[in-house]
Order: sequence, then structure tokens, then C-alpha cells
Amino acid sequence: MRTSTPAPKAAEPGPQGPPRRPGRSAGRPGRPGGPGGPGGGVLGSAGLYAATCLAAFLFLVPFYLIVRNALSTDPEITGEEWTFFPSKIQWGNITEPFDDPTVDFARSLWNSAVVGVLHTVGTLLVCSLAGYGLARIPYRHADKVFYAVLGTLMVPTAVTFVPSFVLVSSLGWVDSYRGLIVPGLFSGFTCFLFRQYFLGFPRELEEAARVDGLGYWGAYWRVVVPNSLNFFAAIATITFISGWNSFLWPLVIGQDPSAWTVQVALSSYMTNQTVNFHLIFMATAISILPLVCVFLFLQRWLVQGIAQTGIKG
Amino acid sequence: MSTTPARDAARPAPAEGSPRPRRPLRTGSTFAFWLFTGPFLLGLLIFVYVPILWSAWLSFFEARFTVTPSEFTGFENYRVMLTDEQFMGSLGTFTVFAALIVPTTWALSLALALAVNRLRFMRAFFRSVFFLPTAVSYVAASLVWKMSLFNGVRFGLANTVLGVFGVDDTAWLADPNPPWYWLVIVTVRLWLQAGFYMILFLAALQNIPRELYEAAAIDGARPGWQTFRYITLPQLRATSAAVVLLLLVAAYQAFDEFFNLLSKTTWGRPPLVELYYKALGDNQDYGAGSAGALILTLLICLVTLLQGRFMGFGRGEDAR
Amino acid sequence: MSAWSTHHWNRRSVLRTAMGLAAAGGLAACGGNTGRDGGGPGAGKRLVQYFHAYGEAGTEQAVRRYAEAYEEADVTTQWITGSNFESKLFASLLTDKAPDVFEFHPQIQLVRSGQVADLTDLVEPVKDDFNPADIRSHTVDGKIYGIRMIDDPQFFFYRRSMFEKAGVGVPATLDELLATAAELTTDKVKGIYLGNTLHPVVNPMIWASGADTLDEKNEIAYHTDGVVEGFRTLRKLFTSGDLLLDAPTDFWDPSALTQGLTAIQWCGMWAMPQMQQALGDDLGIFPFPKVTAAGKPAVTNGGWSMFVNAKGENVEAAKEYVKWLWIDQKEYQEDWALSYGFHIPPRTSIAESADKLKSGLPAEGVRLFNEFGHFDNIGWTQAMITALEDVLADCVRKGGDPERALDKADETVGRELRKLFG
Repeated sequence: MRTSTPAPKAAEPGPQGPPRRPGRSAGRPGRPGGPGGPGGGVLGSAGLYAATCLAAFLFLVPFYLIVRNALSTDPEITGEEWTFFPSKIQWGNITEPFDDPTVDFARSLWNSAVVGVLHTVGTLLVCSLAGYGLARIPYRHADKVFYAVLGTLMVPTAVTFVPSFVLVSSLGWVDSYRGLIVPGLFSGFTCFLFRQYFLGFPRELEEAARVDGLGYWGAYWRVVVPNSLNFFAAIATITFISGWNSFLWPLVIGQDPSAWTVQVALSSYMTNQTVNFHLIFMATAISILPLVCVFLFLQRWLVQGIAQTGIKG
Repeated sequence: MSTTPARDAARPAPAEGSPRPRRPLRTGSTFAFWLFTGPFLLGLLIFVYVPILWSAWLSFFEARFTVTPSEFTGFENYRVMLTDEQFMGSLGTFTVFAALIVPTTWALSLALALAVNRLRFMRAFFRSVFFLPTAVSYVAASLVWKMSLFNGVRFGLANTVLGVFGVDDTAWLADPNPPWYWLVIVTVRLWLQAGFYMILFLAALQNIPRELYEAAAIDGARPGWQTFRYITLPQLRATSAAVVLLLLVAAYQAFDEFFNLLSKTTWGRPPLVELYYKALGDNQDYGAGSAGALILTLLICLVTLLQGRFMGFGRGEDAR
Repeated sequence: MSAWSTHHWNRRSVLRTAMGLAAAGGLAACGGNTGRDGGGPGAGKRLVQYFHAYGEAGTEQAVRRYAEAYEEADVTTQWITGSNFESKLFASLLTDKAPDVFEFHPQIQLVRSGQVADLTDLVEPVKDDFNPADIRSHTVDGKIYGIRMIDDPQFFFYRRSMFEKAGVGVPATLDELLATAAELTTDKVKGIYLGNTLHPVVNPMIWASGADTLDEKNEIAYHTDGVVEGFRTLRKLFTSGDLLLDAPTDFWDPSALTQGLTAIQWCGMWAMPQMQQALGDDLGIFPFPKVTAAGKPAVTNGGWSMFVNAKGENVEAAKEYVKWLWIDQKEYQEDWALSYGFHIPPRTSIAESADKLKSGLPAEGVRLFNEFGHFDNIGWTQAMITALEDVLADCVRKGGDPERALDKADETVGRELRKLFG
């Protein structure tokens, strides 16, 4: 629940393909120029690059707009003639969101960071354990439990939104990190992804661990987790993004500006009395920057991890 | 971390080893099961199931401005919602949205994956570029789209570009005739999510056995459309099906961009937005809102179950 | 600075929802201890007041300064940014974190639910010094429930230079307005701007067609031939290509006019100083022109009022404070209305001595306010406002039939009216 998860909140893909061993998919190296295309030739290759460059250009346009607007003066942004880049880069704009007396932007960034990190750690812990239990520990009613989890995926956010809020506020968690974080930890989708992943985890590894006298708990922490770091990293990134980017839930939970996350702060700029373009876009840029960094840095694991979510051919 | 997987895996522990540890494990497994799943299930119960049940309860009451109502009204809220023109219309909006966003995202992400997969140079760079928007929030993206890309005045980028060709400034969002707002809404979501699905396709592409292509080449299949049509596409079937399903569900949950981009309209409202404005908005009618939400839930359950009939929902994995 | 007394933009309705959720939470939270001190009758020496964030520099400091000067109680101010005002206000009103004093618009459901305190005894002694319309809009069954702080008329602002260049005068009818807008439109500048959703002109259009939202008996009065005609004309304007659409700022912000995106803009008096600063003398105003021969030009008189939370712990102390500031301290009232933006003081005596409003464009604004202004109708609730906004969306923006759209609105409004007035 609660708003825009970049990762789709979804259901069983039901692939019929051969079971794959996620931990080993790295064993198949990517094949540049591999399957699915014409043998190449200079012409085809040039066409391919031209098309890809065009697509990449279009994908980068919004980023360009953010940067351009963030570093321009308002008259340049709203002027009659389009300016491709500010004639004089307004570096001073960078500090402006932090100097704005009406919105505590620095505080909102900090809140988002705290929420993002704790949300991620908590989700990983709770959901991976549950996913493992559902995938690997024999229990008579495990099926029923699994369907109870799966069922929650079908319930739209709107159904639970209001009562969730009531519940959380009756716990006195409004305006608190607890209220922002805890209700979001129990993601049926993440649990489901973990279960799918663990189903494909090589059974021999665990059985060997148990022979060594480790119970489920020991096997899990000593063998399963250390061998699944890729996957954990991927889920962590996706979870962090969804935590950082979520909007609706923080909007109602963050009654007091001191509990605002950066998305709420951002939306408050949009509806402020006087629209200050460069300020809004600078704030947007700053709010995006941490994630872009995380992305560029973790991309390799992320790509591998997503590939392992069990959604594949 | 004394037990490295490599050593464990290498250890031969079959026949005589296997029955012995299994027994003690079985007896302890019920406990272990609850140990692992307990925290999650407890949270799920409190933060998901209790609210759902609460919602269901509310849907039978006159609950305006309150969530602890006392006036039981039976199925009145359901009757109101089912006869509500706009609520029913929102289902139509969802259908249009899904019909637009699902094929376009599918095609774009597949095309990107195919392209990136074939690149020899700067592959990681292009993959990053396409993947990067996934990091951006719907709030931020809507802001850029609304304020800078598709605003209706001369300094909007779209209008500036079109202005070069002598096209008048277009009101992308305010005027529903022609419905340009779909262009804005579809592009924002396309930009945000295409990269993610591209990764899924990319992974699937790399799992296609190379031998298939080699065999096809021997059989005289020309690379290009033929291999794509007869090898790549069929091999991607499972992924494609999964992607389509994921896209459908995501489209069904769409809220943020509609909410941020369209204002004061009576059109272009998918179900969640409609419920939000209509039932939870001015009137704060939690009863009718809950009823509407439950109707939607029933619908999606129905669709999922039907789809399960055809695709073996939730079973394929267990059977392995 | 804003004074959308009746007009709201999209985010607001959403926030209203948020606030509803929060309010719901408040209900559930009743009985919880939020650690508020100074509770209990008689102990009321601490008060909390809520203000939405006004746009102009100095307003926040001013509010705090007034509160500081009050000696009978320790007043803390919550200054709520952006669109979160209603969300926060309504969320907290039902909890024991509620403000004792808050600004808002007169709405009958606040009275019916016993949320706002009866302030008749405060206002009564100086009743004659208030604009009678402001008293009327806060009165239910002979009791006065709020004190008006500022009146904010909304009308059209226009660029004199552009009018001269195009050789057009101030339009006297809606049809003329369309013709004027057409004359003013160039490839760089649109003729007229009514906000991105056009909803701020719903009410003035109704009034200018000689109709009203509700009549004296609180029955539907907006469904007339004149209004239908008005909606048709607005549709013509909408499709003419002379109307600015999808501007990055909405009607309450003067940017569209000052940046030269439009020649005419519907806006509020609050923005007048900003516009004058940017445009100098290149600025004029006129009311919403009459739609039919039977109509009369119209101006929306919005504004903000002070209310006391009747369910708070310190009702008496809160009333004392409100009386002190908004009845007794005329100096502050004048400062509030005139030092940070242009508003019309609801107190006749202050308005009369307000030199800033006595000459030039501000004086013209006051004249329009007095001559053509329509005040809040306390019985015209948010659900009804939304219903009429839907009519506008359906028939002006989407091109539907106004009669049919109005019939649909009648249903919604009728249901509301039955709930409120039986």
C-alpha cells in the first residue's frame, strides 16, 4: 500500500519455463551483439546507435529541464525566447531551498533519509524471513498462510487507506517516524518476491548446512543470506526508492512540518502562493540526487537482483 | 561464517545423512515456521487485515465525517456507488488508461532491451540512462511535466518545440478535446517505468540459449525479423506475460500522476482517484468510499481468479 | 496572498480528504493523552492559534508580534505552509491537540457540529462598526460565529497598455469580454486568464447573470436561463483560442499577468501591490461583466475569519484573546489588512481611515467591492461548490450540455440542502 512504488505491486507471473538457479545466473555472461538481431553490418549498427541515442536523448530531457530550471533565474525560465542554458549559472540557487523560512527543507531531507533507511532495513528483515518461511519450512497450513499473504496484493490501497490511518493515529503515531515507517513494513509483494526467490535457492546448500547441525535459523543466517546478497541489494534498492518516493501516506501522517518528508515538502512548493520556478526545480533536483547516486552506484546489483525476482523467461 | 557454501555443496551428504536430520527438523518446523513468518504475519494482520475488515464494516454504515459510525444502512452505500455515473465511468477511464499504457510500455521496454542487448559499446551507459527515471518520484516527475514540459504557455518545452513549426500553444491538460491529457499522463508513466521493465526483458533475453539462434542460422533463418519473430518473441513469452500482468496491476493502482496533473475535472479519473475525490473528499463519506473500494476489490479478485484459470496463478511455482 | 473563500484548487480538495482522514484519526485518538499542558478549566493561560501561510513577507512576524503583545495568555502560533492548512486544522480540531483559535471561512457545518463557539457577545457591542454583509455571512439563527479579519475582493486585472494598443475599452458584457479577449490575443500573449480550471469565475458568472447560488430560503437559485447562457458563452471563450490555459501558476498568483502571458486576469486584491510593483501604472481593474441584460456586474468578496474552537479546553480565554485582538486592537487590525498586501478591513472605522485604499487603483478596488461584491453564503457548502465546479468542467471544458449538467448538480445540491436544512 501507500503510494507510488516504482516496483510494481503485483502478482504471480506464472512462468512455465525451466527452474533457474538465481544464485548462478551470473554464470551466463551477457552477450553483446547477441541474440535477436540482424548480424549487424556497419549500416545496421549505425542505425541501432542512432535510434538508441535518440531514445536516450528523450529520456534525458526531463533531467535537463530540472537542471536548467534549477540553475536559471525566473525571468529566463519564463521569458519569451527559450534559453537552452542559463546565460549565467545561478549557483546561489542551490542554497535557496535551505534558506526558505517557510519550509524546513533540510529537515525534510533528513526525515526522508531516516524513513528510507529504516523502512528498508525493516522491510528486508521482516519480509525476507517470512518469504523464507513460506518457501522452505514445511508446515501443514503453509499454503493457506501463503494465500492469505497473496490475497492482500489484490486489495487496492484505497480500501485500507482510511482505516490504516485511523489505526495509526489511534496508536498516537501521527507525526512520528514510527507512524511513517512501521505500517509500510508488511509488504505482501516484497514477501512474495522473497518467497519466489527462495523457492529457487539451491536446496543442497541448506541441507548441507543442516547436516552441520544448523537449524533453520542458523542455516538461514549463515548460508542463505550470505549467498543472496545480490538479491537483498536489489530489493533494498527498490524498497528504499519506494520509501523515499512515497507521497500519500507521509502526507497524512506528517501533520506537523517537522515530520514532513521531502516529497511532501516538494508538493507544498507546488501549491504555495507564489510560484518560484528556480526554487521548485532546485528542490526537485536535490530530492532526486540521492536516489540517482544510489542508482548509479548500485546499478549492477540492482539489475542482477531484478533479474532474479523470478519474473523471467 | 565458517560454513562456506562451496564446501557444503561439495560435501557428499546423501543417502545415510538425509533421513536423520530431517526428522528433528520436521518436529521443530512448525515452531520455525511461525518464528520466521510470525512478525510479518502479525504486522499484516494489524496493518492490513484489520483495516480491510474495518473498511468492510464501514461500508454498511452512514459514516460521514466519522469512522466510528452508528447508523446502519445495509447495502445503501453499495447501491449509491453502483448507480454513480462517475464511479462507473472511472472503470471506463481505467480501461482506456490500461489500453494505452500497457502496450506502449511493453513495446518500449522490449525495444529498449533489444537495443541495449545488441550494443557493443557504451552498453552500461545506455542501460543507466533508460533505467535512471525509475529513481524519480511521481511527484517530482509530475511537477516537471506540468510546470516545464507540458505547460500550456510559450515557455513550455513541448509548445516551444511545436512553435518552431508554427503550431499554436496547446493546452495539454485543461482542454479535454482533443484529449491531449492522455499524452501527458502516458508519457510520464512511460518515462518512469519503462526502464524497470527493460531490465526484466534484458534478463530474459540473456537467458535465451544461444544455440537456438545458431540452429536457426543453420536452418537458413535470416537474422532480424525472422529470428525475432520465431525465436526471441516465443522465448520471451513468460516474461511478456508477467510484464503485462504487472503493468495491468500497476495501472489499476494509478493515482499520483492523475492526481497531480489533472484538477477539477470530471474526466480522466481512474478508480482510485475517483474514490478519493468523490467519497473521501468533500463529504468525507467513509461509508460510500469503503463500499466503492470493496466493489473494486471484488472486481480485481474476479479478474485475477479468471486469469488464474488460464495461466495457473500461484500454482506453477508450488508444483516444481 | 490568498483569499479563496469559496474557491479551491485541486490539491486543496485532496488535502481536505487528508484532513478528513486525519480528523477521523482524531476521533479514534480521543482519550489518548497527548501531553498537552495547561489543561483544565480556569487554567487557560496557554493558547494555540492556527494561520495558513500568507504569501507576503512580514505576515508571519506580524501575527507573532500581535500574539506576543497579549498579556493575559501565552499564545503560540502555528503557521501552516502551502496547502496543508485545512488538513492540519481539521485533523487537529477533533483531537485534544486542537487549536483554541483558528482562521477559516464561515461554513455552516462547523456551526451545526458545534465546532465553533458563539461569539455574539463579543461582536454585538461593535456590530455597527462591521460591514453588515460580513456580519450576515457569519450569522446562523441570530448568533454570530466568527469575526472577519480581512475582506478580499476578486475581479479582473488588465494591462492598460495592451488595451490601448489593441484599441479596446473595458467590456460591459460577457460577450464584449470575449470580443475584447479576441482583440488582445497575439501570438505571444493570450487575451484573458481565468485560472487553469476556470472555477473561480463560477460564482461571479452566476451573480452576473442575475441569479444566485441559493436564495433566501436556502433553495437552489442558480439554475436559470441566464446561467445556462453564461455557461454557453464561457464555452465559446474556452474554445476561442483567446483564453490562456495551462499556465504554470493559477489565478491567485499574479505571474500570468506580470510575465506578460495574458492581458486580462481574474485575481484578488491581495495581489495588487505585487502587480503594481511589477507593472506600475500599466494596470486596471473591472468586475465580471454582466451576462444577460437582467444581470449586473459581479465581484467575489472572499476573505478570512477568526473562529474559536468550542470544543477546546480554554474557550473563555480564547474568546478573550480574539476579542482583544480582532475587536479591540484596531491598530493591529489595520496593520494586518494594509501593511502586507491589500485587503479591505471589515471594520468600517478602519476602512474609512485607511489612506492606502483611498486613492488610485486600490480605491477603485474598494468601489468594486462595495458596488458589485457578493459575500460568502454560509449555507453554500463545499459539496455544493464542487457540484457547480463539475458543471463548469462538464459544459465549459468538455463541451457538454449546460442544462443537463445543471440537472445533475441539482441532485447533489438538493441532497446536501436536505441534510443541512431538512
